[in-house]
Amino acid sequence: MVLNMQEELIARCKAGDRDAHYRLYKLYSKAMFNVGYRITGNQDDAADALQEAFISAFKSLESYRGDSAFGAWLKRIVVNKAINVLNKRKHESIPEDDRWDVAEEEAPVEYGDELTVERVKRAIGQLPDGYRSVLSLYLLEGYDHQEIAEIMGITESTSKSQLNRAKAKLREFLGKEIQN
Amino acid sequence: MKIEDFVRQNRSAFDDQEPSDKIWKNVEASVGLQRGGWWNSLTLWRAAAVIFMVLSVYLLIPKGGEKPANSDIALKEFTDVEAFYVEQISQKVEMIDEFQKSEGLNGFTQDFQQLEAMYLVLKEEMHTRPSQKVKDALVLNLLVRIDLLNQQLHSLEKGYKAQEKDKKSTSI
Repeated sequence: MVLNMQEELIARCKAGDRDAHYRLYKLYSKAMFNVGYRITGNQDDAADALQEAFISAFKSLESYRGDSAFGAWLKRIVVNKAINVLNKRKHESIPEDDRWDVAEEEAPVEYGDELTVERVKRAIGQLPDGYRSVLSLYLLEGYDHQEIAEIMGITESTSKSQLNRAKAKLREFLGKEIQN
Repeated sequence: MKIEDFVRQNRSAFDDQEPSDKIWKNVEASVGLQRGGWWNSLTLWRAAAVIFMVLSVYLLIPKGGEKPANSDIALKEFTDVEAFYVEQISQKVEMIDEFQKSEGLNGFTQDFQQLEAMYLVLKEEMHTRPSQKVKDALVLNLLVRIDLLNQQLHSLEKGYKAQEKDKKSTSI
């Protein structure tokens, strides 16, 4: 039912219907803005990424064949735009330090009551750009390391080690917060 | 609890940022979805073309009592004007053909062909019973076609530029 509605919206968009474009935008803009926000770490850059992503998506709607879910297709565009914004801003990529850093599976850390959405969000926000991107893509956007490697132009093992480091940093931030 | 599980269980609470309305306005403008002024509306020009065709038909219905006065002068004037506009039209048609080689018959081409057909009928009328009214209708037909072509060229150009821009951007 929902999928049919979406298919119809997309078909109407392809025919140039303004209202259908607006409805599709409304349907996805909030979730996509949050995806961009988590990667870029601020609202202005997230807004730029969202805007560019929707412009690209609408202009290349013809190339969307419906073989993947529309949301996943759009999300990938948003993620790419957000990473571009991040790269432009920083002029630095994630260090290719996988020569030194072996991605080991860490023993899972068990948290207690200290986990609240607010605290976790704040801790994620404190992470450096590279860590935050990998952690968000993995934990919140549901990409695997192969996909993250492809998105960010890094190796799979770098992605794994960045995630481990990000999680260690997160633990540190969350611990500090409790102490304070 | 592992952080993975916590995030999974509270996933929707992590989407709490709201994008501003300005973003949609910019998207809308960039994709060319804004409702333009009436002058730029292809639909409106197409409607004008249809109204004009109806008017032409009305002019062609023989009405008694009208004598062909000054008919030769009207015909001469018309031939000059026609040559000028026909030249413009054929140039624009060529440009549009170049643009939409791959596209089939659309609403625009249908309107245009109807106007063209109507023009031939009017011209026949001009030769058999020349009058100021028929001359005006012929000139208007040419003008409406030029405007229609301008609109079509404009929208094709916009589409073409958008495609070029897309090709240039490395990733989507």
